[in-house]
Amino acid sequence: MANVLLLEPDAILGCTYERALQTAGHVVRWCRTAQEALYDIDRSSVDLVITELQLALHNGIEFLYEFRSYHEWKHIPVVVLSSVSPDHTAIGRSLWEHLKISAYHYKPTTRLSDLIDSLIPLLEPARA
Amino acid sequence: MQGLRDEQNNDAIAAQKRLLFSLAESLRLPLLQVARQAELAQLSKRPKPILKNIELTADASLRLLDSYLLSLQLAHDPKTPLSQVSVATILDKTAGELQKQAGLYNCNVQIKISGRYEPVLVHPEALQSALVSLGLVFIEAQQPVGKQKPTIQLAAHRNNAGGIVAGIFSDADNLSSAMFHRAKQLYGKSRHPLSQMLSTSGAGVFIADSLLANMSTHLRVAHHHKRAGLAATLLSSRQLELV
Repeated sequence: MANVLLLEPDAILGCTYERALQTAGHVVRWCRTAQEALYDIDRSSVDLVITELQLALHNGIEFLYEFRSYHEWKHIPVVVLSSVSPDHTAIGRSLWEHLKISAYHYKPTTRLSDLIDSLIPLLEPARA
Repeated sequence: MQGLRDEQNNDAIAAQKRLLFSLAESLRLPLLQVARQAELAQLSKRPKPILKNIELTADASLRLLDSYLLSLQLAHDPKTPLSQVSVATILDKTAGELQKQAGLYNCNVQIKISGRYEPVLVHPEALQSALVSLGLVFIEAQQPVGKQKPTIQLAAHRNNAGGIVAGIFSDADNLSSAMFHRAKQLYGKSRHPLSQMLSTSGAGVFIADSLLANMSTHLRVAHHHKRAGLAATLLSSRQLELV
């Protein structure tokens, strides 16, 4: 079980992912905007962040830049779960490493079970 | 002369391609919603509410497709039949169509009409389709503020020139003429041209604009009692002034 921050702008998808993660035993805090997510992490700790890149107002890349600028959040694993294909993003290898993105999942081809399974190895160091 | 017609045809084809691209981008979201909700339903002990949501999601997508097809049909039909309709009736029917989707997104739909208005001369089905397409985008864009449910308003008022302004309004304060102008240049080329308002392509806005263009009007940013939104100016039917 882990504290997961889910940054997902769509109400229906957010609710769906939230329920799936909760069924897998995680405590989920769901935010719809980058600003809301930053406020939330500031108030309570998280073990892992799942974020969409295509957001209203500030996009996911801007969020990750801001998120990683804080020393206390540098070690928190980040998983990108996006409707944008990785081939169509501006995320090159150096930016990927700079933002410490642990995994990139393309929403159309990532089932709920795939997402949940992918979190296990990322959370194991925290549990240890 | 032939060259001018060819240029106009090419412009029309380019505009249709952009609208189709925007529509394709927009349809990715509801299909993704259906796929993931279907997967969740298989894992859930209470699948019925999820299956109901899938039904509503599919209905909204089909409605958007119908609006797009109507816009294509009217664009190719030079003799668009117009008739006199009451704006209040159209807004009422639109609100009825939007209620289920609003429920899905936990959003309220209100009708606000300031005064009584004479009928307008429009293509009734196109006007209603435009407002429904627009309403679906506004519903998707709404964000709850604390525990308060967001509200979209279907509203009409008279402008200074005597026309009737009818459209969709909300509490969101990030809608501006500059933003909308930029979005109209970017749709079909950018994944989310209304990036200040929406995380998706918002094709419903541009389909609505295309439908309204067939009635010689278009969407613009407007305000109704301090709420910003997108609306069109409709001209009243002068025939009834003789009665």
